[in-house]
Amino acid sequence: MGDIFSNLGLGFGVVFNLVQWTPAFLGGASIPIPVNILLCLIGALVGTLVGVLPGIGTIATVAMLLPITFGLPPVGALIMLAGIYYGAQYGGSTTSILVNIPGEAGSVVTALDGFQMAKQGRAGPALAIAAIGSFFAGCVATVLIAVLGAPLTKLALAFGPAEYFSLMVLGLIFAVVLAKGSVLKAIAMIVLGLLLSMVGSDIETGASRMAFNIPELADGLGFATVAMGLFGFAEIIRNLDTGGESDRELVQQKVSGLMPTAKDLKDSTPAILRGTVLGSILGILPGGGAVIASFAAYTLEKKVSKTPQKFGRGAIQGVAAPESANNAAAQTSFIPLLTLGIPPNAVMALMVGAMTIHGIVPGPQVMQKQPELVWGMIASMWVGNLMLLIINLPLVGIWVRLLRVPYRLMFPSIVIFCSIGIYSVNNAPVDVILAGAFGLVGYWLIKHDFEPAPLLLGMVLGPLMEENLRRALLISRGDWSVFLTRPLSAVLMAIAAALLVLAVLPTLRKKRDEVFVESEN
Amino acid sequence: MNDMPSHAPVESIMPKWVRGPQDFIGGLALMGIALFALWASSDLQGMRGFSFGAGTAPRMFGFLLLGLGAAVTLVGILTEGAHLARYHWRGPLFVSLAILSFALTIRPMGMIFAAMTSFLISACGTAETRWIETLIVGACLTAFCALLFPYALGLPLQLLPTFMIR
Repeated sequence: MGDIFSNLGLGFGVVFNLVQWTPAFLGGASIPIPVNILLCLIGALVGTLVGVLPGIGTIATVAMLLPITFGLPPVGALIMLAGIYYGAQYGGSTTSILVNIPGEAGSVVTALDGFQMAKQGRAGPALAIAAIGSFFAGCVATVLIAVLGAPLTKLALAFGPAEYFSLMVLGLIFAVVLAKGSVLKAIAMIVLGLLLSMVGSDIETGASRMAFNIPELADGLGFATVAMGLFGFAEIIRNLDTGGESDRELVQQKVSGLMPTAKDLKDSTPAILRGTVLGSILGILPGGGAVIASFAAYTLEKKVSKTPQKFGRGAIQGVAAPESANNAAAQTSFIPLLTLGIPPNAVMALMVGAMTIHGIVPGPQVMQKQPELVWGMIASMWVGNLMLLIINLPLVGIWVRLLRVPYRLMFPSIVIFCSIGIYSVNNAPVDVILAGAFGLVGYWLIKHDFEPAPLLLGMVLGPLMEENLRRALLISRGDWSVFLTRPLSAVLMAIAAALLVLAVLPTLRKKRDEVFVESEN
Repeated sequence: MNDMPSHAPVESIMPKWVRGPQDFIGGLALMGIALFALWASSDLQGMRGFSFGAGTAPRMFGFLLLGLGAAVTLVGILTEGAHLARYHWRGPLFVSLAILSFALTIRPMGMIFAAMTSFLISACGTAETRWIETLIVGACLTAFCALLFPYALGLPLQLLPTFMIR
């Protein structure tokens, strides 16, 4: 118990760290500035700003804003990224409620009741409940991370290469099972990602693989490049298809009366609690995390409600539960990343990308060698949630105005912003062209109903998987049964196999599709 | 992004025995990518005893993708599925051109020129563009980026064309 408090204490110490600023014009007097809190604040604000733009999801937002953190020290950069992440998520909920365009899959269900509430002139309470629910879920999840962090790290240190490989296989299978759509196609996307990660030079032999003597490919495909292509550019191109303006029915009433009534609070409290619990559990599991959590929370709420007919017509529980769940899940999905070094979803994969750029290899070692980094980030999550609550609610008016920016002006701006961002990663024009190419690939993937998120996950895990597979087989002297004879590895593999079998069984398939069905009607 | 499988009645050029053209073509394309990767990594060394060569993992994933692609194709043949979605040319074309123009001009011409040109090119991507408005917004955005990236974020970006700096 003492450990948890000292760790959290360390974290908050990092977040509230004051830097003395001695500007020349004050004549030697210095002002203490809470730099990390400011970074968190800016991150949350900018994240919301971009996340609120319709049609830009969380992954795209984080990918787009990645370059603005490059100039910062690692701790500050990660804190800012965490802020961006929550901001983006909250921005997504805002668009769901106000314009019925969920920016990301995680807030699809929020749109069902949130938009109805907005139409009834109750956009204020809907937004407030979303923020309050998210904040509560965030508090619980922060404590959960602190509690689970240390023991999981110890477990991770006991892992050998074989266990790591099995764990990654399990993680990928989870990602497939919990995601929406065809299992087969999702696996195909993961393998495509693994294959793409092979481009560049081989870590052990240094041989150049599939790089075709293009110098820019010698180090492999840049992670930020692919992410920005698949999520940034591809989304733009796809949105142009539907002709931007067509189906944007913005709630025209003024958003007034922000505060929820006592009855609203009473109605939504149990929903927030249930959503938080469900979200925290689903978030730890590698895979869809936030997405499945919000769908599952909505379904559960509808099942336990005494008045299920109200759902879809502006029930406040229908906003409270999924919003709490997706925030809890968004936060607990940091657990596998920080303790095991394995990103459970595409956003976390981006976080790995950002850490790598700063020279940090996520995993149990980071937790031990750079505790201030890990705990600072965890504490900043809580602060980030608080920021969202106290800053974003008063700013709702600004977000609403942003929603009125026509797409014809927005998309060229995004193109420019992404291009500059990608270029600034390596100062390489080729990267920009590659991202454009991946944009077209992403457009094609969307047209063929392939999900790009598993591809990104595969791409990040590729090098790790290869390395651990190699090592495991080297240690076992080429004996493939090592994955089944080492007990821990065998358990992980067994779970993975069982999951895969369950996922393709027709009865369970139906249950799984049922959870997602809400979005379609 | 899952709501896209278009049910638009695209003129089917597929033979009758293909019941899900979307998966059929998708699977074939994956197989194509896998074969290409297998060809591209064919010059790499394979297993040496029980240790992996540089080419082992790429080939492993290549064959795996080949199999999965075949499975997706098979699904496309055997089960009723979505038709091919309708492609639009205008958006993809101009956005790609804008990206290309940015990549080619950023080095010689600097950021201000590159950003402004590619803003205008990408604006051609939709018929809804109104030019005066676009010019103003483009100029403002370029100015904003010119302040944000090099100054506020401290990234080494060259703003002006090379010939003007010398």
